[in-house]
Amino acid sequence: MDELRTTKLHAWHLQQGANMARFGGYDMPLWYPAGVKAEHLAVIEAAGIFDTSHMAVIGLQGEGARDLLQYCFSKDLQRCLGSGKIPLVAGRCVYGVFLADDGTVIDDAIVFQLAADAYMVVVNAGMGGIVAAHLEGQRGERSVAVSDYSDLVGKMDIQGPQAARIMRKILKEPDEVFAGMVYFSCKGGFAELQYPGSVQLLDGTPLLISRTGYTGEFGFELFVAGEHLVHLWQAVLAAGDGFGLLSCGLAARDSLRAGAVLPLSHQDIGPWKFTHNPWQFALPWQEGGTFSKDFLGASALLADSSAEYTRAFAGFDPRKITTGKDTFVTDLRGDTIGQVLTCATDMAIDRVGEKIISVATPAVEGRPEEFKPRGLCCGFVKVRSPLAAGEILLIADGRRKIKVEIREDIRPHRSARRPLTAML
Amino acid sequence: MKELSELDFPETVHYTEDHEWAALDGETVRIGVSDYAQDQLGDIVYVEMPDIGDMFEKGDEFGTLESVKAVSELFMPMGGEIVAVNDALVDNPDLINQDPYGTWIIEIRATDNSEFDDLMNAEDYIEMLRG
Repeated sequence: MDELRTTKLHAWHLQQGANMARFGGYDMPLWYPAGVKAEHLAVIEAAGIFDTSHMAVIGLQGEGARDLLQYCFSKDLQRCLGSGKIPLVAGRCVYGVFLADDGTVIDDAIVFQLAADAYMVVVNAGMGGIVAAHLEGQRGERSVAVSDYSDLVGKMDIQGPQAARIMRKILKEPDEVFAGMVYFSCKGGFAELQYPGSVQLLDGTPLLISRTGYTGEFGFELFVAGEHLVHLWQAVLAAGDGFGLLSCGLAARDSLRAGAVLPLSHQDIGPWKFTHNPWQFALPWQEGGTFSKDFLGASALLADSSAEYTRAFAGFDPRKITTGKDTFVTDLRGDTIGQVLTCATDMAIDRVGEKIISVATPAVEGRPEEFKPRGLCCGFVKVRSPLAAGEILLIADGRRKIKVEIREDIRPHRSARRPLTAML
Repeated sequence: MKELSELDFPETVHYTEDHEWAALDGETVRIGVSDYAQDQLGDIVYVEMPDIGDMFEKGDEFGTLESVKAVSELFMPMGGEIVAVNDALVDNPDLINQDPYGTWIIEIRATDNSEFDDLMNAEDYIEMLRG
């Protein structure tokens, strides 16, 4: 096993008494003494911060950068923003995947356009070198410099409805920073990635702030030079005093993203074709079942005849199964039809009659006055038939069988897309 | 995760290698999980318990604890019949996290009370945890 890596916040995590575990080659906090349920709920009802500096950052610079991304990244950068499908511009970012020629997933990513010929690509832990080498290998004659900045970057996320109110206390000229800051936009820069329109903390520390995240809730991802991360973390924590802010570990991150129907790369998407899954918005589909651009892996996806379907599910109580290779999915007759990719418990939701209700569900939408959710197991299965929402199946780990329902969506009333002006 | 020195291991109960505790209470035995177990598991979100009247041998699985991290089996420290289950855990499974020794999971009528003496005392259990 490779040497266990640590982030700049490692000593802080240990000092807080976090329960640590290996993830993506890093020793990371699973939860802090407050416990994962409190952390999960804090992100939905107040705010939580996550050390995400295990994630990898790649820079692309040069007049060939956009063309290289057009060929390697699944989103059509000329047709991706908003309902009008306008081109990606500086200050905006998009989610997509990097595919191999056979249509299987190398990694998922958010591509940030920072300036005319400058892009930042954020991929998963341990994937910086691999994705950078892949891009370099596909570069051809294009004029573009690909740089892996992963070891230079400090990254943390602040997620939850109080995130903007907390950040407002520590940003220099926050009103200017927040102006026009729509979902999936970014401002500022840091370290090697400095462009006009800087964003700074009150003490002058430069950062890049983006309205993105991995929880389904309103909030920001914050990028600074690695040496500023502990300082940024402490500043956010101090500003969060009185707002219910909690530091959160990977367990809450996993349960929040599962309830928000977001995939974990190398678990829910991976070395199989990126088709028949809930994340088709990552592909440049256009009318007629074709793609609006050609890109690496496209022809393999269009020619795909595999009959494997990834579907989201939710259970009827918090019980889950232990994921791994020994899991299986059966129909109600008992015939095995697939396997379980993710199984987590979203502790903010429960079933009320036929509906799933969240602690964030407004009373008028059906949240009972005394609502104390027990949590529901949820996640993703990969099955051999195109199950529709509402279908019931059983997930099993050899020890236990649990009834679950195929769902289009899981945790209702998520805050990720609320206008920033409504969150101040 | 806490250091062993921060965890509580009362001498009034006996322990198993699977981190259950058992407490003799007159005719019956109450069973729960240790402070070490709840700390390792993290927030417990669901407790699966047996039915009253069920009979188990020592070492049999009698239920599960569902934490956010994983599902863990619960094993009988002693053989016997289930005479009560802690219904408070249905709505508040996290009572185990808050008070692992005040929160029993099942109460049994042991087949053989001498099995209690085969279990580890606090000192031996801590020794085992130290490895």
